[in-house]
Amino acid sequence: MRYLPLAPSEDRALLDAIGVQQAEDLLGGVPPELRLKRELNLPGQLSEQEVLRQMEALAGRNTVFPACFLGAGAYDHFVPTAIDMMVSREEWFTAYTPYQPEVSQGTLQHIFEYQTVICDVTGLEVSNASLYDGGTATVEAALMAVRVQRKRTTILISQGLHPHYLEVLCTNITPHEGLKLVTVALKDGVTDLDDLKAKLNSDVACVLVGYPNFLGCIEDLRAIAELTKAAGALLVSVTQEAMAFGWLEAPGKVGADIACGEAMSYGNKLNWGGPYLGFIAVKDAHKREIPGRVIGQTKDLDGQTGYVLTLTSREQHIRRDKATSNICSNQGLVALRANMFLQLAGPEGLKGLAEQNVAKAQYLQQALLQVSGFKAAFSAPFFNEFVTRYDGDVKALQVACAKEGILAGLDLSSYAENLKNCILWCATETTTREQIDRLVRVVSRVPSLVA
Amino acid sequence: MSLRSREPLIFERSVPGKVGMDLPKLDVPAPKDTRPAHLRRSGFDALPACSEVDIIRHFTRLSKWNYGVDDGLYPLGSCTMRHNPRLNEKTAALPGFAEAHPMASAEHVQGNLALMFTLQEWLSELTGLPAVTLHPSAGAAGELTGVMLIRQYHVAHGRKRRVILIPDSGHGTNPATAATAGYDVVELPSREDGTISFEDVTDPSTGKVRKGFMTLVQEIGSEIAGAMITNPNTIGVFEYRIKEIAAILHGIDALLYMDGANMNALMGVARPGDFGVDVMHLNLHKTFSTPHGGGGPGSGPVACSAALERFLPRPVVVKEGATFRVDWNRPESIGKVHSFYGNFGIIVRALTFCLSHGGDGLKAATLRAIVNANYIRKQLEGTYHLEYATPTLHEIVFDDHYQTKHDVTTLDIAKRLLDYGFHPPTIYFPNIIHGALMIEPTESESKDELDAFVDAMKKIAKEAEETPELLHQAPTTTPIRRLDETAAARKPVLRWVKG
Repeated sequence: MRYLPLAPSEDRALLDAIGVQQAEDLLGGVPPELRLKRELNLPGQLSEQEVLRQMEALAGRNTVFPACFLGAGAYDHFVPTAIDMMVSREEWFTAYTPYQPEVSQGTLQHIFEYQTVICDVTGLEVSNASLYDGGTATVEAALMAVRVQRKRTTILISQGLHPHYLEVLCTNITPHEGLKLVTVALKDGVTDLDDLKAKLNSDVACVLVGYPNFLGCIEDLRAIAELTKAAGALLVSVTQEAMAFGWLEAPGKVGADIACGEAMSYGNKLNWGGPYLGFIAVKDAHKREIPGRVIGQTKDLDGQTGYVLTLTSREQHIRRDKATSNICSNQGLVALRANMFLQLAGPEGLKGLAEQNVAKAQYLQQALLQVSGFKAAFSAPFFNEFVTRYDGDVKALQVACAKEGILAGLDLSSYAENLKNCILWCATETTTREQIDRLVRVVSRVPSLVA
Repeated sequence: MSLRSREPLIFERSVPGKVGMDLPKLDVPAPKDTRPAHLRRSGFDALPACSEVDIIRHFTRLSKWNYGVDDGLYPLGSCTMRHNPRLNEKTAALPGFAEAHPMASAEHVQGNLALMFTLQEWLSELTGLPAVTLHPSAGAAGELTGVMLIRQYHVAHGRKRRVILIPDSGHGTNPATAATAGYDVVELPSREDGTISFEDVTDPSTGKVRKGFMTLVQEIGSEIAGAMITNPNTIGVFEYRIKEIAAILHGIDALLYMDGANMNALMGVARPGDFGVDVMHLNLHKTFSTPHGGGGPGSGPVACSAALERFLPRPVVVKEGATFRVDWNRPESIGKVHSFYGNFGIIVRALTFCLSHGGDGLKAATLRAIVNANYIRKQLEGTYHLEYATPTLHEIVFDDHYQTKHDVTTLDIAKRLLDYGFHPPTIYFPNIIHGALMIEPTESESKDELDAFVDAMKKIAKEAEETPELLHQAPTTTPIRRLDETAAARKPVLRWVKG
């Protein structure tokens, strides 16, 4: 076995030194009646070539689409070549949690920089070292808001939150029997401020709003913040497309108390939904309630600047059942990719990329609206996603597109009664005018118009 | 190599006008600004303006201050720092996997679904448990999923239970998870051999009596939802009464959760499903060689009994003839635990590892890991104090009892190891051993590497007697010396701010 570095003679030497005949003699602690009395019913070991062949066969069963118009929480952005090259250094990917800071300054300084850039794009003061993904970051943000607010027990959720995030939140809130989830309706694709006003009261701990929301619409976060603040609740902005921070004002600068969401867009491939990157940033006043790992700056014995894991008294290995969260890892390499991406992009690159996303999405919308059967569903401004109503058969449209190597937008029919025959489209900086024009040609030919 | 001992924060290298990324020429009209004025991005305070050259040098220099498994032995106990095969990276990057969209319909991701299904079958055979979900993102997320399955099981049976039992040797995530899932934690004391005590235990120093497993079952049995037990436990000892514990729990309608962090000691040797475990998690980043990545991403699949299968997170991959589909219609499911299907890229790596090893290779790796740990134990016994004489499997926990009389602590020993070129073991955990040094060498170490480590540990023990100041000063060969963690926590500086 190529991964086991022992020759038979060395093997013998180890066993002799221990004083046993064979490895099985060391299983004395496992009662014989509890041991497996047969070999595992699994295939035998394979060479690299054989494994690669099998894995390539599996990968080959997936459809690779040259053109992608699907987003909905997972975005097809360009990944700068330098990122894969840098991340593949063993010092990043074969290291573990920086428990020994003297031999982990690379990881620690990187995370300190990651925290800085996440604070910058969100306009808040404290970031952790990352969370699992957008859905679980939403959970952590809501639970943190409840901790900060102490006696308040209602979590208001704008219906524009990503439905998967909402379901992950429901899963995790269920055991907390005192907490209530209440949804706020949408009006023309954005949070209905009248409904929000009606549901805000002194029991509301926080309000969760998509920014932009699941339907691609840009919420007026400032107006929502004013209402939320007046009721003494915290505003949590949930961003599923972090590229939007190059276009939209930072949530912290328009009143969000907590910004969280999904940042896979910074330097990652689609990877069928994971590993992705949950982020969370909060105000300085709430830093001791933030979940997960946090890195801080300090000095060593010689007065040199260095970095360490800090505020650890919040965490599970110290506080056990009183910890702010049970999380004891972060998204390591994915956070590293995001940090590298934001540093490569810089302020001009991030703004420029965001503008390209908007330009392509606007062009896509205009092009689709010229095809008969398509209507704009909402009037709100959007970033790189928008919804069209479609008079035809959505499934037939998706099939026709797939035949041409085009991954069409998301069929929203199953998400809500009033979204029947609606399609959520996405364009990014990787979308070309030629792809959009081809999409338009394909959808124009789909025959099945409903009378 | 890096000849520089310092690398400034990237923000200090920023020079307006530099770019690290060129954008493609826009082939559509410039965007119309439809934003409300107050939602226009005002600017950035920290994002640096640097070239690609600056950034590659920056991260390359930073990387050189990290120690990884490829540098040598990384004996962090309970972390299973084994070799990360490069083939895993290659397969995860195959375009069919890396470019798959998680909202694409099942017909376009048959390869992914087949892969998930196949890994589930492997994990099922390894654990002896019939159902598996691959969705949880990490060990702690797996624990939470598992405990929520237990909760849902009781809810479905109309039972209200408020307590989860957890041994005092358990990982910190166990009580944190139980609390996150709404439970009260009651601690199980350990007995003199390091395993769970059935009887009450009296603390010799305080005289305080801690209730044993049987007492708790008798007194609060109707409130116990289940127990979370690591096996082998955190001192590397197999809980040999585990089947009995499971039977007693089942007798009061409670369930047994197993923390599978130490599964590298059991593959092909014993199966949790065979000794009464109802639900457990595995760590793909420990037992299945996916990279630890400086802290993540991990993956924490959960395996469970047939009785719990209907509660598994949705959606579930279902095989129908030669094709696969995604089943969302799971009315009793606890719900989603991840935005999509879990850390899929990690799952690809884990299956690659399984195929490479085969069933025979996995067992060989487990046996090898046990031999390596016992070799270290044999070599260092007598030099370092061993709290428990019980036979151990894949890891061994020494402590600083012999060294404290020379005013040398576990921290000093760990820091001195850095000067000898080794990453230290896990220190000060488990909490039941004062000054613990928890060593897990894994199967990836050669005899030379093990001998070099043993040699360093022996030299350090000698230095502790003769020149303890060397240990107090350690490390002296690292890019930075011991850091002031107290100051870091008292006045936290958590990001760079423009001066």
